[in-house]
Amino acid sequence: MPTAILRVTSDYYRFHMAPIRLIGALLQHLDGTDARMSGVFERKSWRHPALWMSTFVALCAGASVASAQESAPVTSPRVTATLISDAASVAPGQTFRVGLRQRLAPHWHTYWKNSGDAGAPPEIRLNLPKGATAGEIIWPGPDRIPAGPIMSYGYENEIVFPIRVTVPSDAAPGQTLSVSADAEWLVCEKECIPEQGSFTLDIPISSASAPAGDDIGAAFAIADARKPLPGPWSAKLASEGDALALTVEGADLTQAAVKSAYFYPASWGIADHAAPQQLSLTDGTLTLALTKGQTFNPEAKAEGLLAITDGGGVTRWFEISPSISGAPAGGGAASSSLIESLPLWQTALFAFIGGLILNLMPCVFPVLAIKATAIARLSGGELREVRLAGAYYTLGVVVAFTALAAALLAVRAGGTAVGWGFQFQSPLFVAGMSWLLLAIGLNLSGVYEIGLGVTGTGQGLTQKSGHAGSFFTGLLAVVLATPCTAPFMGVAVGTALSASVLVCLLIFLAMGLGLAAPYALLTLFPALARALPRPGPWMLRLRQAMAFPMYASAAWLVWVLSQQLGDFGVLVALSGALLVALAAWIYGTAQHGTGRGLIPRGLAAAAIAGTFGLLLQLDSAATPGIAARTQASAASANYEPFTTARLAELRKEGKPVFVNMTAAWCITCLVNERTTLSTEAVQEAFRAAGITYLKGDWTNRNPEIGAYLRSFNRDGLPFYAFYPAGGREPAVLPPVLTEAIVVGEIERAGRSAQTSPQPIK
Amino acid sequence: MTDNRLKSHLADLPFDRRTLMLGTTAGLTAVAAGGLTMLSSRPAMASPQINKPAPDFTAVDSNGKTQRLAELRGKIVALEWTNHDCPYVRKHYNAGNMQALQRQAADAGVVWLSVISSPPGEQGNVTPQKANELTQSRKASPAAILLDPKGQMGRAYDARTTPQMFLINAEGILVYMGGIDSIPSTRADDLEKATPYFRDALAAVTKGEPVKNAVTRPYGCAVKYTTS
Repeated sequence: MPTAILRVTSDYYRFHMAPIRLIGALLQHLDGTDARMSGVFERKSWRHPALWMSTFVALCAGASVASAQESAPVTSPRVTATLISDAASVAPGQTFRVGLRQRLAPHWHTYWKNSGDAGAPPEIRLNLPKGATAGEIIWPGPDRIPAGPIMSYGYENEIVFPIRVTVPSDAAPGQTLSVSADAEWLVCEKECIPEQGSFTLDIPISSASAPAGDDIGAAFAIADARKPLPGPWSAKLASEGDALALTVEGADLTQAAVKSAYFYPASWGIADHAAPQQLSLTDGTLTLALTKGQTFNPEAKAEGLLAITDGGGVTRWFEISPSISGAPAGGGAASSSLIESLPLWQTALFAFIGGLILNLMPCVFPVLAIKATAIARLSGGELREVRLAGAYYTLGVVVAFTALAAALLAVRAGGTAVGWGFQFQSPLFVAGMSWLLLAIGLNLSGVYEIGLGVTGTGQGLTQKSGHAGSFFTGLLAVVLATPCTAPFMGVAVGTALSASVLVCLLIFLAMGLGLAAPYALLTLFPALARALPRPGPWMLRLRQAMAFPMYASAAWLVWVLSQQLGDFGVLVALSGALLVALAAWIYGTAQHGTGRGLIPRGLAAAAIAGTFGLLLQLDSAATPGIAARTQASAASANYEPFTTARLAELRKEGKPVFVNMTAAWCITCLVNERTTLSTEAVQEAFRAAGITYLKGDWTNRNPEIGAYLRSFNRDGLPFYAFYPAGGREPAVLPPVLTEAIVVGEIERAGRSAQTSPQPIK
Repeated sequence: MTDNRLKSHLADLPFDRRTLMLGTTAGLTAVAAGGLTMLSSRPAMASPQINKPAPDFTAVDSNGKTQRLAELRGKIVALEWTNHDCPYVRKHYNAGNMQALQRQAADAGVVWLSVISSPPGEQGNVTPQKANELTQSRKASPAAILLDPKGQMGRAYDARTTPQMFLINAEGILVYMGGIDSIPSTRADDLEKATPYFRDALAAVTKGEPVKNAVTRPYGCAVKYTTS
């Protein structure tokens, strides 16, 4: 009767136990002759007498009897392992299964073939009689076993690792088939213990086979319940940046059939095991948003198991082998990979045109004011000077574009998902900008002058400072204009940021040149410049008038801040504005007075210092839930707040959906809402077609909206998508809307639904 | 004639150049500040990227000295996540493999930092004295042992197993991350059969050559991060 023996060691070794099967084996260990243990134990320690006394416990597991169906167990406090057979007797030529059975202590686990972030799968070496053959381990579908930020894939409680064995056809009935196995496995709770064991099964050979008993059958049933099934669907894996989107399509993938889903990659490096997998489901299409693994290779296969848990809580595992495509396919979104397929020069050309159009966007308004006065300055200037001014302005624009792109790339590299125009998501920036615009406005209004000494200095210096002025005008133009770059550059910026650094720089360079082009052209063609009126008193009036766009922009930014931080933001912004105005006034007074005006200057400096103190206040102010605000106002409005889940739900019901992504700092978005989306005609068209209007607010950072935009390869606002009824592919609308565009899109979708009546594909 | 006209219209500038300069400088500073604010709120488990600057770290070593990556610029730095009771770590120390790598690194002027991210009460957590004792008893030769019981450095590097290895070149760029070799087992006799990814990377970096397998699978025990 075979007996299982346990060794228990104290101290460090109390966790490190190794099973020994026979008394004889134990005696060998006492001699220190068993080399196999050396990987686990330091042999030196075993010679310590005190350790000896305290560490060895021999336990007779007399109850365990080896049978034809189950071997003698190898036991530790963590695992009771046996080799089992699903046949009580086998016939010549028959294929049956043996399996390593592990019964695990609570909280301990062993591993799947891809063990996840840590651990290792068990290894089983079968020793078979001549003529018998064996297959590979049929790996049961695993569970997720998280530990802090680390994810493992494996099994708890009880598991069987089955292997198919074919009996030799010339086996003689009446004899026994001796199957033995050497197995090693790692078992972990928090800590990990390598264990090993050898097992033997003697299975009678008879002319007719007999199945194993109920207990063994039940053990194999555990493995059978987890046996991966062939996935009958088409699957594809799309990658973009750090994101992966696994899309599986099949008619049986319905809301009712899929409660939750998880993709287990078959090997390390495809997907980040610990990252959450976001499921979105429309009837017939299942999408999991994954995070790319460290060695994801778009050229290689990305096999794995898709675990689907149905409404009844039953999980099944399906083998899938997704094809890998470059374009993203997140959330059933239409991919705009237009730019990706374009040659470089065309991409650059589009970026240039985009930059050109920027000059007409509403939020470049304050910059236009600056430029209007700058153009006025040109009239009557020396040709060379004028051209140099144009060149410096262009340089400023390009430098600012490049700096912003670099900042964005750096933040991205830091792992934060941000979009273009991201600086407006920072309340600090918004407050600082509103004060800066106020300060410029006050200067234009003549409250103070900073450069009274300029006229007195030599011409060489004035020219130089004039150029510096042009350069900084260019910088400011870009800093203010970025929220408006999104409409036309959304795709380009998205592509640029995921492209190589060189391509990225080229795109931003082209965009900057586009923005600077009209002004640069004006300076290049003196005929145009000469057509401008001569310098005169009108310049002073223009200067004073241009203060008002500055004040307007400052007021707008205070409103943005109120959306971001609520009343507190407004309080801080207005207090700061007061201090800025006070500083300007004191400083201006000092300039008009006599003497050196040290005291007023000091007071002005103190006031400015006060604004910085206010910035710190802003920094520490917690952002109140923008979602709550949206929710509250949504109740009375005609839209619902956007969530991916709500969108998926509506699409599953086959309802048409209009998605509007907006932000308080996106002027174009607000203009579109005011002039188009909120009008009676559009609202009536929405009602008539039964469209649900989902509005996402990106005023503050929101990863859900960021991810949604990126699924369309977009990186900025505004963004409009129309999902026609019947779960069909969405149409992305242009960034500048008119009633005709929106209503036309809805009608077009209605017509094509009639001509091709296939609501669900 | 142009001289006077230029002067007069420059005097009539709608606003002053210094206003502009100060203003735009402030604006760009605000952009940078905004970016930094976002950086500071990035997710705890941001993955380090190969061929990108390695995440900076500040950690106290077993001799009470503060080690900063920024101060090691100009030297190649090797990072080894460790837990002396983990069977995978024991495989490499008991067979002398880790010590051999440490000597190879030291001979090439590489700063080898062993990092322990186990919090008190978890496997692998040691007092500074115990850390030094282990170095002596195992004849190890790391330049320092960094104690990271709060797991900040571990999370910055997204270290998930012990052992797990990183190599940072003299410019502070991460040039290798992953396993010590190719066979994820606790058997010492696999050491010879395995492809020594880390040893190869170390040799390449010290010679100034590119690392062939710069990202490999780290294998071993999970890093026991604190949950508090």
